[in-house]
Amino acid sequence: MTQPKESTYQKSAPWLKHKERSNMLMLRIMSWISLRLGRRAGRSVLHLIALYFVLFAPASRRASLGYLPRALGRPATFVDMYKHFFCFASTIHDRIYLINRRYDLFDIEIQGESAIRPLIDAKKGVLLMGAHLGSFEVMRAIGRKVPGLSVAMVMHKDNAQKINAMLAAINPEASMDVIPLGHIDSMLQIQEHLNEGMLVGMLSDRTLGDEPMAHVELLGATAAIPTGPFRMAALLRRPVVFMTGLYMGDNRYQVHFETLADFTDIPRGQRDQAVNVAIARYTELLNRYTRLAPYNWFNFFDYWQSVPASLSEKKHQ
Amino acid sequence: MIENNTALQLEISELMVQALNLDVAATDIEPDAQLYGDGLGLDSIDILEVALVVSKQYGLQLKSDNENNHQIFSSLRNLAAYVAAHKTK
Repeated sequence: MTQPKESTYQKSAPWLKHKERSNMLMLRIMSWISLRLGRRAGRSVLHLIALYFVLFAPASRRASLGYLPRALGRPATFVDMYKHFFCFASTIHDRIYLINRRYDLFDIEIQGESAIRPLIDAKKGVLLMGAHLGSFEVMRAIGRKVPGLSVAMVMHKDNAQKINAMLAAINPEASMDVIPLGHIDSMLQIQEHLNEGMLVGMLSDRTLGDEPMAHVELLGATAAIPTGPFRMAALLRRPVVFMTGLYMGDNRYQVHFETLADFTDIPRGQRDQAVNVAIARYTELLNRYTRLAPYNWFNFFDYWQSVPASLSEKKHQ
Repeated sequence: MIENNTALQLEISELMVQALNLDVAATDIEPDAQLYGDGLGLDSIDILEVALVVSKQYGLQLKSDNENNHQIFSSLRNLAAYVAAHKTK
């Protein structure tokens, strides 16, 4: 558990620098408990974990307190913070069961399937954009209800390694199609997947640090959204669907699909403008769903301050 | 193989400047400057755009499983050399 060297991550985003150590530890402890004692027993431990985070994880607590009042529209209480951590812990905990195909444990409601059904059927490739909002993993469970919904996830290569290690530990048969970013040909891989008619998913609310950002109005204050995913969608001329799997308490999840953009017929000259429209729409959806399910926001760093000045200006005008 | 690529290098350089809206003249891009990261400062999406534009222009296929991708996209000179060797139009 060493901290990454500053020099290696110099250009990286705060969330990368700010090691995901605590998350990984939590995941390990919980997978052990869950698989041996069952979901109910596991969940009682989640309360302890949430409490631990409220009491002993000052950085996460600060982030939670910085975010919650914006989404709730009122000052956050100790209970809110507790709920926030508990919600996060629940989704991680449930991931263990989802990976083990225990879909029977969950009550999952799907909304907006019509936004994605025709695109899946057209088999021309779709980009699914989510955020660190709720659980993307419930996708596994709804694969049965929404046939054809098999997604290759694009993620930072370090995270890809961690996820794969985790998957292997929990269920060696559960594979996840992952496209690691950070290689010159990552983008070519994405293109090939789309050309085969597949769905490619990514969480577009965090920067990887080497890309320009767009400033948006999120929950009443300026935040930075990376433009990369949207520029990529525009270049590849694909439809984009927003997806979030909100945890609604107990064993309930609510999956939402929303039309985000369609770059299929956007001529080159209008691309930048279309990208801006898509970013605005993405922001609108983040605003809507963070307010709808405030405890589902899982960016435990200061999201509204993480606008590195050096990254906000680049050659793209 | 490298020597006679000056014209092609300039052509690709012009394609890049145009496609990416770069603030430099095509003639100012050093053949050996790094395209990715430091150097010309392109990010991965820019590289994708270069790959798309170049594939279309010269009728070649850039595949993700090509082990040489890193080398191909490392500089203008290397990209031109690859295009020269593989172009179909």
